[in-house]
Amino acid sequence: MRVTRAADVVVGDWPTSPEVVALLECSGALLAWDVLADDPVPAARVHDPGRAAEWLWEIYGDAADAILGDAEEVAATDPGDRHVRDACRRAAQLNWAGAWWPASVTAGVPALDPAVLHAELAVALSTVEHLLDDPDAVERALASVVEPDASEPALTALAERVVALAEDYGVVLRPAEVPVRSGYALAAGGSALAGTTALSGSSTVDWALVPHGAVDAAAPATWAVVRRQGRTVLEVSVVPGPTPTARLAARFGEVDVTLDGVDEAGRITGSTPVSAAVLLLPPDRRVLTVHAPGFAEPAAPDPDAAARRDAIIAYARARTSSPTATLTERTAR
Amino acid sequence: MTTARAATLPRGALVARAWAGLGDAVAPLSNPAGRPLTRTVKLILDPLVLRPVLHPEFAAGAIAVEHADALVSRIADAGPVLAATASWFAVLKRERRRRWITDGNPQDLYFQRCFELATAHGEPGPDAADVAADVLAEVHGREGPTVAALRDHVTDPANATELTELLASAWAARAPEPVPHTPPATSAFLATCAVAPDRALFDALVAGRAGTAGAAGLDRPGVALAHGLTSRDVPVRPELGRDASKANLPRPFDRSIVQRLFAPLTNAFQRAGLADVPTLVRREIARSAGPWQLAAEESRLVVVLGRDASADLVGPPAGEPGSAAARLRSRWEREAYVHRVLRVPSAAPPEVRADVRGVREAYLRRLWVRLHGRELRHDPVTPDQVWDVLDGVLRSVILDQRDRLRSALEREAVA
Repeated sequence: MRVTRAADVVVGDWPTSPEVVALLECSGALLAWDVLADDPVPAARVHDPGRAAEWLWEIYGDAADAILGDAEEVAATDPGDRHVRDACRRAAQLNWAGAWWPASVTAGVPALDPAVLHAELAVALSTVEHLLDDPDAVERALASVVEPDASEPALTALAERVVALAEDYGVVLRPAEVPVRSGYALAAGGSALAGTTALSGSSTVDWALVPHGAVDAAAPATWAVVRRQGRTVLEVSVVPGPTPTARLAARFGEVDVTLDGVDEAGRITGSTPVSAAVLLLPPDRRVLTVHAPGFAEPAAPDPDAAARRDAIIAYARARTSSPTATLTERTAR
Repeated sequence: MTTARAATLPRGALVARAWAGLGDAVAPLSNPAGRPLTRTVKLILDPLVLRPVLHPEFAAGAIAVEHADALVSRIADAGPVLAATASWFAVLKRERRRRWITDGNPQDLYFQRCFELATAHGEPGPDAADVAADVLAEVHGREGPTVAALRDHVTDPANATELTELLASAWAARAPEPVPHTPPATSAFLATCAVAPDRALFDALVAGRAGTAGAAGLDRPGVALAHGLTSRDVPVRPELGRDASKANLPRPFDRSIVQRLFAPLTNAFQRAGLADVPTLVRREIARSAGPWQLAAEESRLVVVLGRDASADLVGPPAGEPGSAAARLRSRWEREAYVHRVLRVPSAAPPEVRADVRGVREAYLRRLWVRLHGRELRHDPVTPDQVWDVLDGVLRSVILDQRDRLRSALEREAVA
């Protein structure tokens, strides 16, 4: 692994795009795994060598000393006891799943159960508490945990562990609420609105611009310029995800559309009158950007993002049946 | 690899090795990976076993190779008492559950008690449940100051008039303290406090009253407001008050005397070691009239250190590399990256926006509350704790902000 030294010491190849990063915030350093690379050894970004020295050997074995010394290249050695490194990986994976798990009816990626996610994350963090940046990380994680349902056989062991953990930290778990996992409808059939479609198209949704679970991770957002009763209207629709957010909006060229309707197929829709000049827009400006106001501002799409998203969707689908995946991923449905 | 590096070992690795040697007997003090819990290190191993105050060679960080075996055998020698500590902890937890006690973090509340029990009695014997019951009664008992006692004291007509007068006279006597023409600069201490805190520089800043001098001007319009310590243009004398709740506490200088004492009294861990209610109230009245509304010069100095170190959070970077200011700024910049990776909103909802914009004000508020709490517990910040306090306050501001951004998002998803 390469070691580069600037303001921070960077070990290995730091993954570039946020949606592939499984991150753990440790004392004096960040650890990151690229979920698509499937390497058990993480990259590290050390900002406080003094603090990181206390635990870096748990991740890189004897190479930790050279990393904090002046080596430019190290071979990651086995730390001997892999408990801690594996638990770090699990916690980081759960952080990733909580942020980027691409639930999609269209692509057949089932939604995660947030209750399982929060419980499993609290247990994973407690295993590596001694090297985390936040000394109160376990209490903080337990604050999001609801009293687990131990009746489901797959979850009994996790439920017992998280209850014992809460007791050890003196945290009273929140009572379980009625499950809010909504069944969401797959878009089927066209809209009933009459009119003549002059132009239409679709584009994928940039995940970074909408909250996790707000829209279907794989379904495209569609747009159409429709002539109706002598007026020109831009219509937009997008397939909701497992936790639809109240506020979505879209930008098409210079035109902003609020997505505040729902059509009979369950899609989130919006429309706005536009000048007929919109039909004269060159094709490269007929780009639809869906975003959540108050979450992110619309941004120009990254041309490589679509391929990366496809790879992540395929990865997530495989994780649901992988024996090495977290319980959260395996119990997605 | 340089020889200087090769001559030390990380303390974490040595502690892990020694701890592994103690086996399952200390499992109740260990995390699932078999390492000592964070609080096992903080509350038991450090203050009671390794005792770096007496044995500086065992202080956290790099351990010289020649002391490595001594450190490991020190923990190994403490094996029996640590095992008994673990057994007592299990007994106390059982007894706690039986009594439906849910107050406070058992590790914070019982770890040191368990070590005392282990030292005095060894492993729990047949009377263990009775002993445990006594400890729980003491820790969770109604002894010591409580919120109810505080309210009774200040609302008792026999006291109320006197306390109100005391408050008035303390504030009337607030004379601008004689301030040295140029208070000693904090930059030299802040330059190295993260890695090599200079005790002599810290002491010189205390002696030169840099903390008190730094409070000059707070009474001018808008100054305390700009520090985030009040919502008023000019701070006014606090009310005595009678009620308080954890939610919606006003900014520090706007809190009543009762509100200032409320949070420490509701936390079982913090409540231990507090003075009795009449003393607490009188001291709080005097404190409120002091510079920074704090009593100790050390605390005032730490506020000023925090103010100077947090300047880089909002302005152009001015701190030298490695200084407290540069390190705080780097944490703040790192947070922007972590936000993207954890898909935390990049555009803040309106209710959180003020916090994000006013990070330095939120920082100084949190810092004041910490220092105030430590004054109440007679736990002054030592020179080598300064960096952990300055850094920990920013971490806590950042993590709270993340939680608030997330819950604003969840509320929206439910709506």
